[in-house]
Amino acid sequence: METKIEQLRQEATKAIQNVAGTLNDLNDVRVKYLGKKGELTALLRGLGKLSPEERPRVGQIVNEAREQLEKLISEKNNELKHKAMAAKLANESIDVTLPGRKTNHGHIHPLTLTLMEIKDIFMRMGFSVEEGPEIEKDYFNFEALNLPKDHPARDMQDSFYITEDILMRSQTSPVQARTMQAHEPNSPIRMIAPGRVYRRDDYDATHSPMFTQIEGMVIDKNISFSDLKGTLEDFLRQIFNKDVQVRLRPSFFPFTEPSTEVDISCVMCKGKGCRVCKGTGWLEILGAGMIHPNVLKMSGYDPSKVSGFAFGMGVERITMLKYGIDDLRLFYDNDTRLLEQF
Amino acid sequence: MQVSIKWLHDYIDFTETSDELADKLTMAGIPVENVVHAGEGLDKVVTGRVEEIKRHPDSDHMFITQVNVGQPENIQIVTGAQNVRQGDIVPVAMIGAKLPNGMKISKGKLRGVPSNGMLCSAEEMNMDLSALRDDQKNGIYILPADTQIGMPVKDTLGLDDDILEFELTANRGDCFSVFGLVREVAVLTGNTPKWPVIKAVEDDDALATDMIKIGIDAPELCSRFSARVLKNVKIMESPEWMRCRLERAGIRAINNVVDVTNFVMVELGQPMHAYDYDHISGKSLTARKAVPGENLHTLDDSSRVAKGEELVIADADKPAGLAGVMGGLESEVTDNTVTVVLEAASFNGASIRRTSRACGLHSEASGRFERGVDVTQTTRALDRAAQLLQDMGACTVTKGIVDVYPVEKQPVTVAFTPEQINNRLGTDIASEKMVEILESLEFRCKADGNGGYTVAVPSWRNDVTFMEDLSEEVARIYGFENIEATTPRGTMVQGVQSPLQDFIDRIKVTLTHIGMNEELSFSFTNPEMFDKMLLPADSPLRKAIPIMNPLTDEAPLVRTSLLASVLENAVRNLSRKNEDIRLYDVAPVFYPKELPLTELPDEVVKVAGFMSGRRNPMSWNTDNEMVDFYDAKGIVEELLVRLNINNCHVEAGEYMAMHPGKTALFKKGREIVAAVGELHPQVAENLGISKKAYIFEMDVPTLMKYSSDKFNFDVLPRYPAIVRDLAMLVDEEVNASDIEDTIARNGGKFFKNVTLFDVYTGKQIEDGKKSMAFTMQFQSNDKTLTDEEVDESFKQILDAVSREFNAELRG
Repeated sequence: METKIEQLRQEATKAIQNVAGTLNDLNDVRVKYLGKKGELTALLRGLGKLSPEERPRVGQIVNEAREQLEKLISEKNNELKHKAMAAKLANESIDVTLPGRKTNHGHIHPLTLTLMEIKDIFMRMGFSVEEGPEIEKDYFNFEALNLPKDHPARDMQDSFYITEDILMRSQTSPVQARTMQAHEPNSPIRMIAPGRVYRRDDYDATHSPMFTQIEGMVIDKNISFSDLKGTLEDFLRQIFNKDVQVRLRPSFFPFTEPSTEVDISCVMCKGKGCRVCKGTGWLEILGAGMIHPNVLKMSGYDPSKVSGFAFGMGVERITMLKYGIDDLRLFYDNDTRLLEQF
Repeated sequence: MQVSIKWLHDYIDFTETSDELADKLTMAGIPVENVVHAGEGLDKVVTGRVEEIKRHPDSDHMFITQVNVGQPENIQIVTGAQNVRQGDIVPVAMIGAKLPNGMKISKGKLRGVPSNGMLCSAEEMNMDLSALRDDQKNGIYILPADTQIGMPVKDTLGLDDDILEFELTANRGDCFSVFGLVREVAVLTGNTPKWPVIKAVEDDDALATDMIKIGIDAPELCSRFSARVLKNVKIMESPEWMRCRLERAGIRAINNVVDVTNFVMVELGQPMHAYDYDHISGKSLTARKAVPGENLHTLDDSSRVAKGEELVIADADKPAGLAGVMGGLESEVTDNTVTVVLEAASFNGASIRRTSRACGLHSEASGRFERGVDVTQTTRALDRAAQLLQDMGACTVTKGIVDVYPVEKQPVTVAFTPEQINNRLGTDIASEKMVEILESLEFRCKADGNGGYTVAVPSWRNDVTFMEDLSEEVARIYGFENIEATTPRGTMVQGVQSPLQDFIDRIKVTLTHIGMNEELSFSFTNPEMFDKMLLPADSPLRKAIPIMNPLTDEAPLVRTSLLASVLENAVRNLSRKNEDIRLYDVAPVFYPKELPLTELPDEVVKVAGFMSGRRNPMSWNTDNEMVDFYDAKGIVEELLVRLNINNCHVEAGEYMAMHPGKTALFKKGREIVAAVGELHPQVAENLGISKKAYIFEMDVPTLMKYSSDKFNFDVLPRYPAIVRDLAMLVDEEVNASDIEDTIARNGGKFFKNVTLFDVYTGKQIEDGKKSMAFTMQFQSNDKTLTDEEVDESFKQILDAVSREFNAELRG
């Protein structure tokens, strides 16, 4: 009996080791020796015929042999599985250098991107976004801004007229007067007004008959020129970069007094002087000033009680500088090859 | 305005270089746009005499010259210029010269003949061409015959001088003069001006008042009219120094009388005019409004018919000039002139501006009047002009000035307190410092005893009327860079934007997420586009607002259709072989309430889009299928979902520029919320679009009206759904949405949703029929459904569908 067991154990061990094929082959071996009708199982059943003294000893031997074989089968099973996985992996490799599947996604126009960024910066500073009509009354576009008819400063803005008194607004500044007139007199205002404006300029690399401006205005008690300087420096460092230098130059706008042009150190050459800044190291970026007392008065505000500053900038210019675009016409050309870069 | 550094130096000393001075002026609000370093690049250009000139043997347009540049041997230079004659004195660029335009002069051969230098034109020497005669501009610049040879041309031409080109602001009329600039330079450099003594010697016994009568008939347009009469005038060339100053100021020298009037204009800022006395009819000059219809014959020899609002200076018979804009031809000073009337007047800036714009005549004079001149100095200007001509020995000066000055201008005074100015600037400038700054600018300050001041504004500063103006004077001299940067205090308010702006941003973000590219287009359009888009003759969209002064004939109207703009951009892209196009625009169109406009038009924001080309980006693993109607419709549907606009009724319909059989209208009641369709083939042909394209348009206010701000969160189901599929054959014209409606109506209480997942016509389907397959979900929120419960509802659906659509159910 014991010899028989040992013989079966050796035979089965060899059979397990010899399995080279699939898990099924291994299973066949298991069934042959350890299955319900397997040879080792049959021996186990035959234990009944042994004497009660022999039974425990032989039973232990059979069980040991069985455990040993099961362990071997389990090991063999793992080995076969690993081999199968390795074979599967080897089989399934692909050319990962082929390009990935492209997704359809759209692009926001670069000017809108800049506009959104500017709005975001000012809204965080507590500015509201105001709007006004693009076809505007001469009164709001000029007169309420201290620019009476035949004022020479009107030459700065050659406008598209619809009638004698209605024009396509040449600036977003009319929103200043409209906003003030919509407010309780002398109540505080912090607003920006982005929008399309129109000028009778020839279409070239830096001019366009339609372009985008952002107007800004702060009115409150004790607003000073130094506040204007601080606010605009803060804005310009956010929209360009924190190291940008800001320079204010006295200038003239009929609706502000004092007036200033605001320059930044050239973002292309860091102020060293290049083609973009015409060698000066500075770029003119916006116009600003303390709101002229006439402008406040005309819209019902009392310049002896409140003061304010206003500013205006071109979104195209800022976008061109941010992205290094050298021709303004590209924005209105809408070539998909340009749009899809943003 | 441009002026040479030498002219400034005539009246003030300073040690700053031209660039340093330009920077100081700019930072004080007197913007210098450009500094022209005249003479730069002319180091090796000398004067030379052409001793010999002969034709090049191998060229029919070149000449071989032998030029004497003051060296022992003449040098041989080949030139292509046609205006050089033997004996001419010309600028010669020697070997090694590097001209202003970057050209380097080296030894060379031209058609085989050695050439050792170059003869130069005015342009090559970077001279100011606007100040030159035509014969000086074209060809080689011929120097005066008495020019010494072998001299640096820089010295000979006085090009050892820099020119400041100003871009002056409209408020500083006073700086359109050398004196005005000198005043600024004095303050900025801390030096004292050396003003010339202005004094005319009245050496002629004749009385001016006996010779000429001056009148003002339009005092609102002419506040002062002063005149002097000069006799025994000798017309000649002005001295070299004066021609030089003028040329550097961009003004062409003509003759001594005209030059002097121009010189005084630039020097003092007072425009002047000289009349030939013998051609003044009736010996009277009157500033009056033109009579409508009368003829205005100006110096440029053009005739204009007066409208009646122009200010003219008229003699007894006719206008002798457009006041402040341009003189008349008849009374022009010529070589035969012997008696001259000099005019120095003060005209209304707005009127001059209107006239000069209406006539398209912009002169040095009109520019100055527009910005405002100092009314007090007309007589000074006359004296200066008389003095200069007298110094040339070119006239005698009659006694007296005829001066008509109806209402003398009173000095302007402005009150301020240092506190007001400090508050406005956010500074802490001491009172003494403020007074010092203002006094340096010749604003006379008088303390009022209460800490404030009363300031007398100088007569030339007609831009200063308020305390705020004084604050600017203080700030610009104190230095903007010395003002600190602070943050506004005061009421804090929350930054918000309007609901419309928010909504527009949402539309843009959604369309971009689903693959559309945003474009920005001009608000202009033209009637041809309406024709191309097949708009009916009576379409209200054709009632677009005309622009009075359009930039081009292609853009005479303000747009009424955003789709038109999108189509134009699509066409441009297609013409550049950009094949896969997905464009959208969100922008206003303009509907007039009536034409011509009497009130502002309605500005309505629209969304429009265009799609054509491949469905998926071209790639090795996509099928290169083209977009179709349902891609475009899907974009619209997705946008409506994202905007929370639900339950639109979708129907076939017609819409501008769309294929009548392939247009879907999304409606709420009778109102169109969105339209999407294939581009009408005729419109496509008209626009030159050869591939299938799909377009959509929506109206933002309508979208906003139906956009719900409610968000309904659907609880996730706790019990499984049961799915049933249904395939059927129906007539081809049956609408899918109608079947879906019927299914939903008959689905019973557990019906969840239905999705069309297949549509098929073709093989195995008889003509006029199509096969459609739907999948339906049934679900309960309370329990797991049994097949029996669903079977009942499904049967209801089958019955209803077969009944209503004559549908033949398939396996």
